[in-house]
Amino acid sequence: MLRESQAAVVARNEEWRGASATEPYEAGWASEAIVFVRALKDAVGAPGRARVELSPDGMHWVAEGTEFPLPVRAGEVTFARVSHFGTWLRIAADLPEGAALTVLVTWHLKA
Amino acid sequence: MTPDRHEIASALRLADPALSRFDPLPRIIAFDDFDRGFCGWTQLVGNYEDTLDAMHPGYAQHTQAMLSTLPMWDFGSHGGIDGSYALKIATRPQAGARNVAIKRLTFRRRGPIRLEFYFTFKPEANELSLSETDVRSVGFLYDLQTGDRDGDAWRIMPHLRFLNALNGEHVQKWQFKRRTEPFAPVGSANKTVTHYHLAPEGWEDIAGGGQKLCYNEIPTKVNWHYCRFDFDLATMQATGLACNDRELDLGGFDSMRIPAMRNLWCMLNLAFFVETDVDKRASLFIDSVCLSGDF
Repeated sequence: MLRESQAAVVARNEEWRGASATEPYEAGWASEAIVFVRALKDAVGAPGRARVELSPDGMHWVAEGTEFPLPVRAGEVTFARVSHFGTWLRIAADLPEGAALTVLVTWHLKA
Repeated sequence: MTPDRHEIASALRLADPALSRFDPLPRIIAFDDFDRGFCGWTQLVGNYEDTLDAMHPGYAQHTQAMLSTLPMWDFGSHGGIDGSYALKIATRPQAGARNVAIKRLTFRRRGPIRLEFYFTFKPEANELSLSETDVRSVGFLYDLQTGDRDGDAWRIMPHLRFLNALNGEHVQKWQFKRRTEPFAPVGSANKTVTHYHLAPEGWEDIAGGGQKLCYNEIPTKVNWHYCRFDFDLATMQATGLACNDRELDLGGFDSMRIPAMRNLWCMLNLAFFVETDVDKRASLFIDSVCLSGDF
């Protein structure tokens, strides 16, 4: 049996300002994940870092501990690896006042 | 006496617990049990050219479907009809938001096809209330086009939805949509257009289409419903709709009808969608889908 895998775009052409997060993604079947963030346009200001968050129910979120820089230039990609995450995943970021970033966020999940 | 091949096929299907809950036509085109993965169900992305900014906002809101165990905060995973997983399509948490999952095929022969599926729906359970009017609707559609050498050249799009609630009123009725939406060019190469066929305007009631579905008594308990839709690709007419114990009257039903497009010949797309009536995520769960044909 091949291992199940899935690429899931959860934010496409969304402009992030201030407190931002992707929609909850349920992937209890997966044991590992990589999240990619691609900047679709040059960032306004310094967007800072994103963090991976976990949840018991898709409604209450806690930081998983993994952080990574958000991309700055159009076309730049940053990513983070996660494993042993339970069921729910999202990434969140608190962009500094005045900063903005247009993102494409993709989870790559594997059983 | 030699048994008829259709009788043998029928007996074998009735003996198969996975297929026995369906009444497929002789040829099974797809049988999607989400314990085997996504089975080709993916996000409906809008058309674009040059820039994603060209995408219609109605499509831009869509996100990827999930494989879900229907996990609930108060007791844990609900699970599917059998096995652990169902396909989950979830909206964003804004009133009127919609999400769509699609499977893209082409057909081999213009004849009868039958779509059968089991479904349920719930809002995000972030309030300790019944929330039975939070999900606006769940529905499905075909996106079809005749063959490139057929005498009739049409793109046909039957749309159906169960309107559960609208602006807080618990409506609970089946509707269809035949009104087409205007086409708009996308980009500068004159190759791509968009039309927002799921726009909220233009839905019409199916005669006698009121139906009270089992919802259960808190927002985390679900019950699965059966739905069947029959369509004839030869005439491009709907021939039957059933949900649980109800056969619905399609006497007044019609599909969207659009002149054929230059690149969609023999298209057989099917899609499921869900809409929320409040600022809360709504989810449609499917487990499982059987698409069959008479050929």
